Amino acid sequence: MAWITKKSGSLEVERRSQPYLTDEVKKKITEVYLPRYETKHGALIPALHAVQESAGWLPHQALMEVAEFLELKPADVLDTASFYEEFWLKRKGEHVIAVCRSIACEFCGQKEVTEACKKKLGIDVGETTEDGKFTLIELECLGACGGAPAALVDHTLHEFIKPEQVARLIDDASKHSGHH
Amino acid sequence: MSWTPKTEFPVLTARIPTPPFGEMKDRRTVWYDEYAKTGGYDGLRKALSMKPADVVDTVKTAELRGRGGAGFPTGLKWTFLPKSEDPNNPGVRYLAINADESEPGTFKDRLLMDFDPHLLLEGIAICCYACRLSKAYIYIRGEYHHQAMVVEKAIKEAYDKGVFGGKGLLNGASTATGEVWKVECHLHRGAGAYICGEETALLESLEGKRGWPRNKPPFPAIKGLFGKPTIINNVETLAHLPSIVSNGSAWFHKQGTESKIGGPPSFGTKLMGVSGHVNKPGVYEFDLGIPLRVMVEKYCGGMRNGKKYKGAIAGGISTGILGPDQFDAEMDFDIGRKYNVLGLGTACPTIFDEDTDMVAVARNIARFFKHESCGQCTPCREGSGWLYQLLSRIEAGDARTKDLDLTLEIATSMGAMPGTTICGLADGNNWATRTIMNKYWDEFVARVRPTYVPVTMSVGAAARV
Repeated sequence: MAWITKKSGSLEVERRSQPYLTDEVKKKITEVYLPRYETKHGALIPALHAVQESAGWLPHQALMEVAEFLELKPADVLDTASFYEEFWLKRKGEHVIAVCRSIACEFCGQKEVTEACKKKLGIDVGETTEDGKFTLIELECLGACGGAPAALVDHTLHEFIKPEQVARLIDDASKHSGHH
Repeated sequence: MSWTPKTEFPVLTARIPTPPFGEMKDRRTVWYDEYAKTGGYDGLRKALSMKPADVVDTVKTAELRGRGGAGFPTGLKWTFLPKSEDPNNPGVRYLAINADESEPGTFKDRLLMDFDPHLLLEGIAICCYACRLSKAYIYIRGEYHHQAMVVEKAIKEAYDKGVFGGKGLLNGASTATGEVWKVECHLHRGAGAYICGEETALLESLEGKRGWPRNKPPFPAIKGLFGKPTIINNVETLAHLPSIVSNGSAWFHKQGTESKIGGPPSFGTKLMGVSGHVNKPGVYEFDLGIPLRVMVEKYCGGMRNGKKYKGAIAGGISTGILGPDQFDAEMDFDIGRKYNVLGLGTACPTIFDEDTDMVAVARNIARFFKHESCGQCTPCREGSGWLYQLLSRIEAGDARTKDLDLTLEIATSMGAMPGTTICGLADGNNWATRTIMNKYWDEFVARVRPTYVPVTMSVGAAARV
C-alpha cells in the first residue's frame, strides 16, 4: 500500500516566519494579474511566476501562501505547479544553464556543449554546484532550431554555441546576479 | 530544378529583413511609430470600415489556412462561433493566440514576436472586430523570455496609442456597425509544457490549471475559455490578416499554389524555419509549394560541408520524415498525401546530411514525446515510454529483430484509432517513429542481432511414439 507510506501523504511543510508572498508580489497580483482573468484560478500561473521570480523557487510554504491569497485549495496550486517544468519545487542554483537537447540541437553538436558545461561546472546534468551558484539542466526544444546548438543561460538565449565558448558564457553569467 | 517565386515582395517579413530581400543580420524590432509610418494599422482601419461579416467573408474567400500545423481554414473556424442576435453585444467571447511554439524544428512565430510584434497585434484587432470578440490572450511559451518582453512592450504601446483599451479600437474610430468596438489584450506566459500548444490544453492552462487537453465536443468556438465561445488562432495566421484585408482575397490567391491533387488549395506565403545541416539556417518567407530542394540549395546556402542530403523532418517532428528520394517534395498542404508524412505541420523543415544516424533521430523524437506526454491517456503515456526504451535499446545495439516488430507495432497502434487518445500527441509520435523506421528500415535492421527461435525436434524412435 504505497499510498500510505509515500512521502506526500504525510508531508511536513518546512516553514519560515518571513512570508514568500511579499507585499510587492501581492500588489502585482492584485493590480495586474487578477483583473485580467474571469476567475482567481486564472491568475495562478502568473502569480506562481511572480513568486518564483522573487523567491528563486517555489517551496511548499509559498504554494500554500498563494493558495490562501487566491482562495484556492493548496492541492489545486500544487497540481498546477507540479505539472509545469519551469516551476522549481526544489531549490535551484542562482543561475540556470539550460541546454536544448531536441532534434536540431542534438544533431548540430549539443552533446559536446553539454559535456563542456559539465566539465566547467564539475557537475552532472540535473545537479547544482556546491556553492549553489549554477544548476545545469537539459531541456526539450527552446524554439531556436535555426541557431542550433542553443542554450538558455538564465533568461538569455545563446545560439550557435561552440564547446570552447561555454567557459566564457558561464563566467559571464556568474558576474551578473541571478534571478532571485 | 526550376521554380520561380510568385511573390515579388515579402508579405509577413515586409519589415523584417529576410533573404533574398535583405540580410538577417539587419533584423531589429519595429516599434509602433515605425510600424505606423510604414503602412501599419491600415489593414485594421480598412477592416473597421467594413461590416464584421464582410471581413469574415474576405478571409473565407481568401481560403487562408491555419499556420499552426493543422492547416484548418481560418474563415471556416470563425463561422463556428454561435450567432448572436445583437452583433454589437454578443456577450463575452475570447480570442486565444497560440504562441506556445514548442515543437522541435519549429521557430517561425518567434521571428514575428521578436521583430514585428505590431503585425500580430493588428491581426488580433482585426480578428476581434470581425468575430466580435472582446478579450484576447496571447499564450506565449515560458522559454520565450525576450519575446514576452517585446510583446508586452508592444501591447503597452498599442494601449497608449488607442489600438486596444477603453476608447475602442484605434481611439474609437467610427466603424461600419456605427458603434465602437472595444478589445482588451493581455499576455499570458506559459511555464514549459509542449502540450499547452494543443488548443484545449492551452485553454486549461489559461484558466490556471494543468495543461490537460479536453474532450471535444464541445468545441472551443462554442464552449472554450471559462466556458465562453473562444477562437484559437496561431500567431502567423493572425499576422496574415492585415495584408489580406488591405489587398483582398484575389491578391492572396496570386501567392502560393493550387492543389495539384484536387485537394483544398495552399494559397499565400508561409514562414519557413530551416534548421539542421544547411549552411544558412533561419526563418525565410516563401510561397507555399516551394520544393524542399530549391529551398535548401538556392536560399539556404546548400548542405553544410558539401555533404549529401539524407532526409528532412517535414515541419516539426510530429509530421514524420521525408526520405532520401523525397528531396523534391513541394512544401504545401498536399505534402502529407503525396509523400507519406502526417502533413505540412508548421513548414519548418529540419535537414539531415548523409552522416546522420537515423536510429538516433528516432530515439531523440521518442524521448521528446515521452517527456512531453501529459499522462492523461494510457496509450500515449505508456506507449511513448516504451517506444523510447525500445529505440534506446536498438541504438545501443542490444536489440534483436523481434524488437523492431514490437517497436513498429506500438508505433502504428498509438493514437491511430480515433478516440483512444484525447489529443493528437500520440498520433504525432506514431507518424514520426513509423515513417523513420519504414523509410530507413535497413539502418534499423543493421543495428539489431537476429532473434533465435529455439526449435526442438524429436527424431528417431521417440518421434514414432
